[in-house]
Amino acid sequence: MVRSCRSASPVHSHGRNLVLVFPTTLPPAPNVMDKAIRLSRLIILLMALLFPAGLRAHEARPHSMLVLDQSDRRGPFYYQVFSGLRAMVSEHSAAETTIYTESLDLNRFGGERYEEDFRQFLEAKYRDRPIGVVVAIGGATLELVLRWHSKLWPDTPVVFALVEERDFARLRPPPYVTGGIISVKFSDAVKAARAVVPNLATAVVVGADWERQVLFRNWKDEIATRIEGLNVVEIVGRPMAELLDRVATLPGDSAIIYLGVYTDGNGNYFPPSDALAVVAERANRPIVVASETYLGPGGIGGFVIAPTLIGAEAAKSALRILDGENPESIPLSVVDVVKPIFNWQQMERWSVNESNLPSGSEVRFREPSFLEKYRWRAVALGAALLIQAGLIAFLLHERHMRRRAEVESRQRLSELAHINRHATAGELSSSIAHELNQPLGSILTNAESAELILHSKTPDLDEVREIISDIKRDDLRASEVIRRMRSLLKRAPFETTEIDLNQTMREAFDVLSLQASAHNVAFYLQTSAEAPRVKGDPVQLQQVILNLVVNSMDAMAKMPYGRTVIARTEVNGDASAVVSISDSGPGIPQDKLNEIFDPFFTTKEQGMGIGLSIARTIILAHNGQIWAENQSAGGAVFHLSLPLVAQSTLRQLHRV
Amino acid sequence: MLPGYVHVVDDDTSFRTAIERRLKLAGYDVAVYSSAQELLDRLPDNHGLGCILLDVRIPGLSGPELQSRLIELGSTLPIVFLTGHADTETTVRAIKAGAEDFLIKPVSSEQLIGAIERAMARQKLALSQRSKLEALRALIATLTPRERQVFELIVRGKINKQIAHELGTTERTVKAHRHEVMEKMQVQSLAELVSIAERLGMLDPAASQRG
Repeated sequence: MVRSCRSASPVHSHGRNLVLVFPTTLPPAPNVMDKAIRLSRLIILLMALLFPAGLRAHEARPHSMLVLDQSDRRGPFYYQVFSGLRAMVSEHSAAETTIYTESLDLNRFGGERYEEDFRQFLEAKYRDRPIGVVVAIGGATLELVLRWHSKLWPDTPVVFALVEERDFARLRPPPYVTGGIISVKFSDAVKAARAVVPNLATAVVVGADWERQVLFRNWKDEIATRIEGLNVVEIVGRPMAELLDRVATLPGDSAIIYLGVYTDGNGNYFPPSDALAVVAERANRPIVVASETYLGPGGIGGFVIAPTLIGAEAAKSALRILDGENPESIPLSVVDVVKPIFNWQQMERWSVNESNLPSGSEVRFREPSFLEKYRWRAVALGAALLIQAGLIAFLLHERHMRRRAEVESRQRLSELAHINRHATAGELSSSIAHELNQPLGSILTNAESAELILHSKTPDLDEVREIISDIKRDDLRASEVIRRMRSLLKRAPFETTEIDLNQTMREAFDVLSLQASAHNVAFYLQTSAEAPRVKGDPVQLQQVILNLVVNSMDAMAKMPYGRTVIARTEVNGDASAVVSISDSGPGIPQDKLNEIFDPFFTTKEQGMGIGLSIARTIILAHNGQIWAENQSAGGAVFHLSLPLVAQSTLRQLHRV
Repeated sequence: MLPGYVHVVDDDTSFRTAIERRLKLAGYDVAVYSSAQELLDRLPDNHGLGCILLDVRIPGLSGPELQSRLIELGSTLPIVFLTGHADTETTVRAIKAGAEDFLIKPVSSEQLIGAIERAMARQKLALSQRSKLEALRALIATLTPRERQVFELIVRGKINKQIAHELGTTERTVKAHRHEVMEKMQVQSLAELVSIAERLGMLDPAASQRG
């Protein structure tokens, strides 16, 4: 925290060392004066050495300190200096310390008159208040305190803070004064400016009149010595309006070095950090600053003074004095309160690479990255997204599987329906063979008869003609049987056309007629007068009717007589066609009425239980309905209804 | 070829007509019936030479059902079955019940006429056998009760002495009856007499009990 003042050339040496070295850079003082001062100091020091007891008398100092600010403490800088000081005092638990504070407000006020009035004010105010130590903050304050010391607090040690090393050298404080010297250099500001603007050609120094400056007053001289390769423009002590105009139109290879502006030139005063905010708003170049309090209002940073540390350092020294130490025994030191600190947001704004900053730089106001800022929210959001994505993927998979299952089930149905037709065909095979062999038998016999007739001596040609006509008729009959058979066994994809349901019924009953006669079943088919036109697959609808009729015939198999199947088609208004197939069998047990259409439900010994289930599936695929009930007079009746083709479509078809 | 009546029972008009035409060309007399009932209504003569051509599947009474009705009614007309589709069960039942043949449509004339010929021949044989037996029964009917008793005991190998003892008469009387039996039955040897008895079923245990 504190480095020895000896290492800090080019300044001074003080305290217990008897040799005082004054900087060579000081304005040359008259030799006589110089000698006189040296002499007086020597005398004082000798006295101190000779009468240590006299000095120890100071040990019983009142535990109170008077803090004198150079500026208005309501500004952030002085406020922080004071905060640092007070914090350190509060920490010090050895004894309760009373702190008095006064603002000299030298940025706004000044002049001999003011100074004298203020001195009298202090004299009057603290007449009855013993002060253990005076803390002077700022070079100008120290100067006044030293001037007032003999009149106001002749025996009170003084601790200073915020005094630039050149001011310190100039003031040449007496032995009862100690404190922290601050070293701020224009070259550091330039170094920071070069870090911020690597191709820096112009440094624009913005600030109040040099005389008003507290810490940077001495930079005037430093600037005057010129820095190699750098053009320094001063906008110092200019009215605010002009200042703002100029900072808005600076060249691209420049940087602003802000020292502090306290007034707009029209009699309005404000804290320099507020002025910085106004300047930063208009400036077209980054603003290098030298005070920590300037980082917030728009400074990009630089080697900045940390005011709290200044306050703390001053408090430390003051407390040591209050605890009984001799001010001379506390070394004068250059306090290390200047640190390279930069404003991350400004760096972003001016695209400053962090690697260009001076080593050991601290970067403040770093905006946390999205993840840092919203870590939990981001994690939660990510998790939610992940879960959602997972869910979506799962649902898509589910949908895909369902689609596949649907396609598969449709395919299975088609296959099952086909198998069912085969089974039906197998069941009907004896009937069909009979039906087919009947005309074939006739054809063969007739052909042979014709042959015989033609071989006779007097062939009866009329009879041959009759025979040939019979053969033709039987051949057509056989073809018809084969056609019906093929349509039944056709493995066709589901295809809808507009069909006459009566025609479908007739064909189905033709297929079944022999089966019926073999089983001694009487068939009655009553078709509606108006053709019930529906949209459907004729093969599949015929299969439905076959399944229902075969089912009825099987149900009546054990009856000795009176086996009857009555089929009826009706047109129900404009809406639907209804087919009813009733039998004279034993009917369906009441509790099984809903189950009979379930797959693999059967009451037959050798039934597979798919006939009715396939019938229902086919009818549902035709947007129809199928249901069964028992007739009051006995026997079961199956109904199926199918939507009729719209009348308008019909009319159109008829017109065509 | 044996001329005779062929009774065709088939519900299919076309087939009936074709068969009728063909069989007439072959020289048979043909009668057609569209159902079993029609045949039963006009039951053909049992004694003439003939056969029945019967479709298995006809509406109403089926072919096999008609067959059993005819057997019940004592018809001896041979039956040739014709079917569009032969299932084993029906075939076996029909043959067991005495069907002459079982043909499957379409049937060639050669097959059909061959079957009809065989049926006719069998019918003819049956008819002649039946007339021979009837002649023998007529001869037996001329015997007196005592001669009938003697006849039945002779064919069972009893000697005159045993017969006399059984009937409670003398050996001489038995000898006279025996001679009378041989005369009436128009045979020369005992072996011929035994043969007649066998053909008429008089050697069955049941027949002996009756005696």
